[in-house]
Amino acid sequence: MESLRILLLMAFRSLGGHKIKGLIVGSLLAFGTFLFVLGTTLLESVERAMEASITRSITGHIQLVSARAVDRLTFFGPEASSDQDIGVLPDFSRVREVASKIPGVAAVIPMGRYYGQPILNTELDEAIEALEEAFAEGDPAVIEDRIGKVRRMAARLKEDYLRAAALAADDEEHEKAIAALDRVTSEEFWTSLRHAPEEGLQFLAFEIAKLSDDESMLYLPFIGTDLHRYAESFVHFEMVEGEMPPPGTRGILISQAAYDQFFKNRPARVLDLLHEAKTLDGRRIADDAALQDLVSRLKEMTAQVTMHLSPRAATELDAKLRERFPKVEGDLDARLAAFFEVDDENFAERYEFFQKEVVPHIPLYRVPVGGTFTLRSMTKSGYPKAVNVRLWGTFRFKSLERSELASAYSLIDLASFRDLLGLMTAEKRRELDSIREEVEVSEIDPNDVEAFLFGEAPVIEEGGEADLDLDARLAALDRPTDEDSDTFDPAEIEKGTILHAAVVLHDPGKLREVMARLQEAFDREGLEVKPLAWSEVTGIIGQLVVVLRAVLYVLIGIIFVVALVIINNSMVMATMDRIGEIGTMRAIGARRGFVLALFLLETLVLGFFASALGALAASALLALLGQTGIHTHQPFLIFLFGGTALYPAIDLANVVWSFAVIVVISVISTFYPARLAARVPPVVAMQGKE
Amino acid sequence: MSAIVSVENVVKEYPLGKLKVRALDGVTLSFGEGEFAAIAAPSGAGKTTLLNLIGCVDVPTSGVVRIDGQATSELDDAGLTRLRLHKLGFIFQSFNLITVLDVYQNVEFPLLLQGGMTKKERDRRVREIVEQVGLDKQMRHRPNELSGGQRQRVAIARALVTRPRIVLADEPTANLDSATGQNIIGLMKEINRKNRTTFIFSTHDPMVMSQAERVIRMADGRIVGEERRAAEGAA
Repeated sequence: MESLRILLLMAFRSLGGHKIKGLIVGSLLAFGTFLFVLGTTLLESVERAMEASITRSITGHIQLVSARAVDRLTFFGPEASSDQDIGVLPDFSRVREVASKIPGVAAVIPMGRYYGQPILNTELDEAIEALEEAFAEGDPAVIEDRIGKVRRMAARLKEDYLRAAALAADDEEHEKAIAALDRVTSEEFWTSLRHAPEEGLQFLAFEIAKLSDDESMLYLPFIGTDLHRYAESFVHFEMVEGEMPPPGTRGILISQAAYDQFFKNRPARVLDLLHEAKTLDGRRIADDAALQDLVSRLKEMTAQVTMHLSPRAATELDAKLRERFPKVEGDLDARLAAFFEVDDENFAERYEFFQKEVVPHIPLYRVPVGGTFTLRSMTKSGYPKAVNVRLWGTFRFKSLERSELASAYSLIDLASFRDLLGLMTAEKRRELDSIREEVEVSEIDPNDVEAFLFGEAPVIEEGGEADLDLDARLAALDRPTDEDSDTFDPAEIEKGTILHAAVVLHDPGKLREVMARLQEAFDREGLEVKPLAWSEVTGIIGQLVVVLRAVLYVLIGIIFVVALVIINNSMVMATMDRIGEIGTMRAIGARRGFVLALFLLETLVLGFFASALGALAASALLALLGQTGIHTHQPFLIFLFGGTALYPAIDLANVVWSFAVIVVISVISTFYPARLAARVPPVVAMQGKE
Repeated sequence: MSAIVSVENVVKEYPLGKLKVRALDGVTLSFGEGEFAAIAAPSGAGKTTLLNLIGCVDVPTSGVVRIDGQATSELDDAGLTRLRLHKLGFIFQSFNLITVLDVYQNVEFPLLLQGGMTKKERDRRVREIVEQVGLDKQMRHRPNELSGGQRQRVAIARALVTRPRIVLADEPTANLDSATGQNIIGLMKEINRKNRTTFIFSTHDPMVMSQAERVIRMADGRIVGEERRAAEGAA
């Protein structure tokens, strides 16, 4: 004990005697510790926040998949958009029954992820339909108003075609289109339409409507689930607009972000984006190329406002814009284009004007809440399938509103989901079973049913009457879905095919424990089901934390290796410097172990104080950040942070770990020089140098 | 007078490149308890080598060095270290104090290495010897705050605090002015008389030699002469 005291004293004193060395090595170690504590704490906070983001909105804590799945179920990243073969759960009702009995399981929610393409009317479609309706109702003012709309759109479309014709080589289709548009932009066409609408309307519907090409083909990823159970079990879920479909009713809920992104009127959407960028992110149009690009695109979008305006609304808006831009020649579009030329100074005022004067006069979304649209998908066996779905409402995940990742998925009822995938509903399965009995086909895997029904599988070989009968029944099975009733029996539906299921836990900390118990229970029950942790099904996102962690560790590793080399080097030099002193101590009677301990202790003392300083600095910073939060408006970071702010919490384990690492580094880096020092022979003390 | 140090036919060779340099060439001599002996020789004659062998910081190439009956060549590093710690005290030409420790701590240091002593007893021993060398006022000074003579006094105190049988001093006055050197030798002699500690020191200063009871002369690694003088007040 007493010699430890003198050792410590000597260690302190000799550190004091080599201040520069101590300072360099100390600051390296302090910085390494700082980074270690800060980095690991932030990472863990992000991990926890991201876990909450994901598990409370989309995946639950555990996903149950078929043990026979070929691909790993993935919700995010490139794999998610490819066609994954994840198989189907053997028997969802039993899976749920077994899983629900495991302590800690709060809910088991059936799921399936897929994507479809909404088939939306083009704006011209809608204008022509509205004109047809006006003729049917017979109000001349309304008819004139709608004729004006269609004419404006046709004129605009013709301009587009002429512009395209100037660029592209002549082709027959193009010429025919321009000829058709020539006709509907002539005064005679509309005069005759007013007198005998029948023929003109048909021409518009069949020849003109198809010429209007819609912009981007969008794919809507969705999760087929029990909407009510989903809404109850995922605490982040909340409705924005509309209502939940009544239980057992078909329908879709679109995430508000996807609704804004894909369904909102485009100029209105672009203005929203600019508004968000300016108010939330504090970006400036003047020095932001991306925003400038948005503004220049906005100027091209005037038609998407003007074509929706009734003649009265158009006149009123034109009058207001004339006051603002008296010098702008031309029509409403030209003045609107001038209006759309926004900059940092006028934006706020113009945005408000747009919301007040324009928005009430245009359809803000291409499908209103409560409306119906057609969703088309490719079934698993590769034929297209279209289902009409009612948009019951929009939802968001609390505090993740701006995260594109969190709001990627929309939610659809299980019956429509099955139809889109071409999977069996219980009803269809029963029907199939009866057919199966008749034709005496014994085993058809539910997965192969499409193949069975539509070729590929060599199931039915006998010819004759039975075949004819079967064909008829199969045809009946594939009757268009929109003729199906728009309700279903929720209890019945879960007896059909379910792809995977989410398990929500009471305590996320028990994840591994519950997973093990689930696996055990499934094995016992002979169910081929495999539980996957949320982090395993989040693809690139789940790996992100792993990657960030790796980067952090590499960085810290580099710092510590540098520290190691420097400590080693300076201790070797110190040994050389202190050879006389070491020799003296040895001559007086200090054992080698004493010298070894002295040198090790010196670095340890340095390491201890340096890392205490680093850990303290990191903890202070983290405590501050824990109070103020790290704020962001960047959608991806919102997802990582589980909201617009991350409040890191210090974990003592990280501090302890950093100390442990420093101790190891100190010992390793000093071991060689300390051994060198211990080997200094006592005879050097006699060599008379000081 | 029983021999506390005996050197028998000792040869010490050092490798120098491919050559071997013979620093000691068959030296035989012994020292009794309470002797105050000087080894006098010009530089390079082998006196430091001889002291190293007696001081157990080195072992002979051939021949035997015995300290209190124990042959040094039979001991490993730990054994030699133990021998140095318990039986020997060192006074170096350049004082060789531990610069980071103060006077008290420097003197206390060998006692700490020895261990097995209460704090109280250690304190008593340190204070006693520091007083004896006249540095009780400088107890908390660091070596760089002391003069050369004071430093050598600390070194003497450090050498004596463990109450060794033998104190070895390699040119103890070489780095001191003559008055201070005289003073230091006086102090050593006083302690020698009081404690009957054997002092063996090397020197080429005639003033210092004149203080010794026994002067051994060396040249080229051999002993070339020896004079004995009756010690004042000793039998």
